[in-house]
Amino acid sequence: MNAASPLAGQVEVLPPSGESGTAARFTVDAAETVLPGHYPGFPIFPGVCLVECTHQGVLATAPDEAKGAALAAVESTRFTGPVFPGDVVDIDMTWKQTPAGDWQCRARLSTGRGPAATVRLRYTRRTAGEAAA
Amino acid sequence: MTGQREIRARLPHRFPMLLVDRLVDVVPGERLTALKAVTCNEPWYEKLGPDTPEEDFAYPPTLLVESWCQAAGVLATWDDPNPDVLQGQVMLFGGMTGVAFHRPVLPGEVLEHRVRLDRRVDDTVLFEGECRSAGEPVMTVERIVMAFRPASALRPDKT
Repeated sequence: MNAASPLAGQVEVLPPSGESGTAARFTVDAAETVLPGHYPGFPIFPGVCLVECTHQGVLATAPDEAKGAALAAVESTRFTGPVFPGDVVDIDMTWKQTPAGDWQCRARLSTGRGPAATVRLRYTRRTAGEAAA
Repeated sequence: MTGQREIRARLPHRFPMLLVDRLVDVVPGERLTALKAVTCNEPWYEKLGPDTPEEDFAYPPTLLVESWCQAAGVLATWDDPNPDVLQGQVMLFGGMTGVAFHRPVLPGEVLEHRVRLDRRVDDTVLFEGECRSAGEPVMTVERIVMAFRPASALRPDKT
């Protein structure tokens, strides 16, 4: 997990809550890199960082068959509650393989105040040709 | 051509999260084209070294989305910009659908965000478009939703 990322902190892997899912947690430290600029005088954790938390949760907990696949799409996201410094974001993920062989992760993110976001990501294995295209 | 002075009068974002460098074309209420140069001096690259695989230098796709959304934000607020998140109507990222990444973007690339305002319904604005680099699409956006709310709606003690 050394790739460039807007998150300074790392996700913590949790025991899954269901049979087909995985779980992770991200604590929004007040020293997170993005916060001084988002926004000055009023730090609020950006929505795209919740998507990034999900992506990091995926990298940390993906099923073995899905490991190494690249993020191909944010299929859908809804932001349902703001996230602030100090918040602990719980990420519950479920997994499905698409008929085309891609992997789809559906995640529900929540803080102590309630739902924060729903995120659906799709991962694919790029061929060398596609990566260069 | 519109530069940082104008952009900073329109967006509340600041270093390291001000991810629009220049506006090259604006048709208010309709479309906007903005540039974002990706550089290895952005803080996301701080901890990467010579042993880091090349693919790990890809610009984070989530920041590609953020940069595109900021361009959309400039268009959405063109006639009534509010660079202060503490008062007035503030713009919130409501959600997105069908945002596809076509290839990794690396430091040194200049991204061209093409934003089209699809429609405006009450306090909600819908956008579509794409991001191009070197003449080819690197991201396509089916729909991004921005919502305008009173600044007070964002305060932690009000949620």
